[in-house]
Amino acid sequence: MSVIELRNLTKRYGKARGISDVNLQVEEGEIFGFIGPNGAGKSTTIRTLLGLISPTSGSATLFGKSCTTHPEIRKELGYLPSEVFYYDGMRVMDLLQYSASFYKKDCTKRIQELAERMDLDLKKKIDDLSFGNKKKVGIVQGLLHEPKLILLDEPTSGLDPLMQQTFFELIAEENRKGATVFFSSHILSEVQKMCSRVAFIKEGRIIKQEKMSDLQDNNYKKVSLEAKSAIDPAALDLDGVSNLELKGTSASFIFKGSLNAMLQRITAFQLTNISIVEPDLEEIFLHYYVKED
Amino acid sequence: MNIFRRELRAYRRGLIIWSVCLFLLVVSGMSKYSAYSAGGASSEVFDALPQTMKALLGFGSFDVTQISGYFAMLFLYIELTVAIHAVLLGSGIIAKEERDKTVEFLIVKPVSRGTILTAKLLAALVQAILLNLVTLVSSLVMVSAYNQGEAITEEILQFMASLLLVQLIFLSLGTVLSALLKRPKTSGSIATGVLLGCFVISKITDLTDQLNALNVLTPFKYFSYARIVNGEGLHAGITALSLLLVAGLVVFTYAAYRKRELNV
Repeated sequence: MSVIELRNLTKRYGKARGISDVNLQVEEGEIFGFIGPNGAGKSTTIRTLLGLISPTSGSATLFGKSCTTHPEIRKELGYLPSEVFYYDGMRVMDLLQYSASFYKKDCTKRIQELAERMDLDLKKKIDDLSFGNKKKVGIVQGLLHEPKLILLDEPTSGLDPLMQQTFFELIAEENRKGATVFFSSHILSEVQKMCSRVAFIKEGRIIKQEKMSDLQDNNYKKVSLEAKSAIDPAALDLDGVSNLELKGTSASFIFKGSLNAMLQRITAFQLTNISIVEPDLEEIFLHYYVKED
Repeated sequence: MNIFRRELRAYRRGLIIWSVCLFLLVVSGMSKYSAYSAGGASSEVFDALPQTMKALLGFGSFDVTQISGYFAMLFLYIELTVAIHAVLLGSGIIAKEERDKTVEFLIVKPVSRGTILTAKLLAALVQAILLNLVTLVSSLVMVSAYNQGEAITEEILQFMASLLLVQLIFLSLGTVLSALLKRPKTSGSIATGVLLGCFVISKITDLTDQLNALNVLTPFKYFSYARIVNGEGLHAGITALSLLLVAGLVVFTYAAYRKRELNV
């Protein structure tokens, strides 16, 4: 049984695009990254999954059950929204205890522990906190009941780099203890650091799901060429070539596919220089998101 | 239980302010009674007023020189105030979570929307009853301070019972509106608008007998205060129908809120 399972999940807002036919499975113990630019449908997917909004069609389940019909399964869920808002006039501790009161276990010790790690003052009023500190409250709030599934919507925005470090350590610890982590982001480097698998979402559709290792290690090469004479673009018209940039005698592109086939094409040029390197994720990312004109 | 407590705490300050205002309304209202009851010329002045004028001022057919008639007139203002509290409370308990964006916190907790709504409705009911009791006690104290004739304790109790029913109607009307309206920020003003519409209708039907059918649209007209003043009490049938209306609105609120697309 998958921890998260989305089947043909579709949400339309009138004529406006929401998400369409999203299929996703997150298995127990994974750290799953959900990547997409702003407005691609990441939050819509998460909110549909959590039962805040209902899908137009398709289904979304947590631990095999729908949140709307089985709200009690959410006791195993810790959620950090992308923007954190809390009740007026509450102190950090009041809010955390209110949050804990939904889970029928004593979380006081855990709250203290997390607050210490995150360097969070429990006595302060939430209204007086900065954006980053509010985010910390959100993190503690999402983790205090030791959930089996941690759902994070753009978790690091507003945190300083040191705090981000601590945060990732915390998440990694929870993951080692057995928690599944689902985490949306538009920042690739943080996903690169953490996740075992990623899904890319673009304009409401999942365009790619891959293991992080596959994504980085094998398939993609960044190729840069320089030749004596002008490079004929037709010669590089080959399956697997993308992000082709041609400037007279030099060319660069991302390649995924048969290296032999590519090399045969390249040997046709009078090369003065060549480099074939691992692209960073940023470049793969762009490769997915460059809008086709 | 935790949501119920949280709700009461969140509304504590508001309820205190409303209670103080209600108390002051009763105090200032009753303090003018001596002018009305002084007899002599003032009584004749009131009698000489045209019916339309009396209706607009809220006298209606009441004899405002008598304590029960005067209280009936004052009660209309009390009722309007308390009804505004109820309708705002009703729309607020649902709308505020979305307006303040705390809904994303609450809804991912392991509780159903029905449970959340029940806790909120109970907390609102407690507040409505408390405000009603404040009004009752203020009225009893102030009326006895100015009354020189027979005590009207029983009438006041009946007024407050009818007030509670009107509160419940507007409270549940507020929750239905908030559960149905797409934009949580506007639901409070729309709910108040509906209430004022009801009030205007009640004033129009005061002016003429020909539009009495419209009274069904306005809870302000469900209970005949002339009946209470005349010592006939509340109409059992109307009371039952009002309770039925409240039950219907509450059921409708649950149905609508379960299906609601939450704004986040």
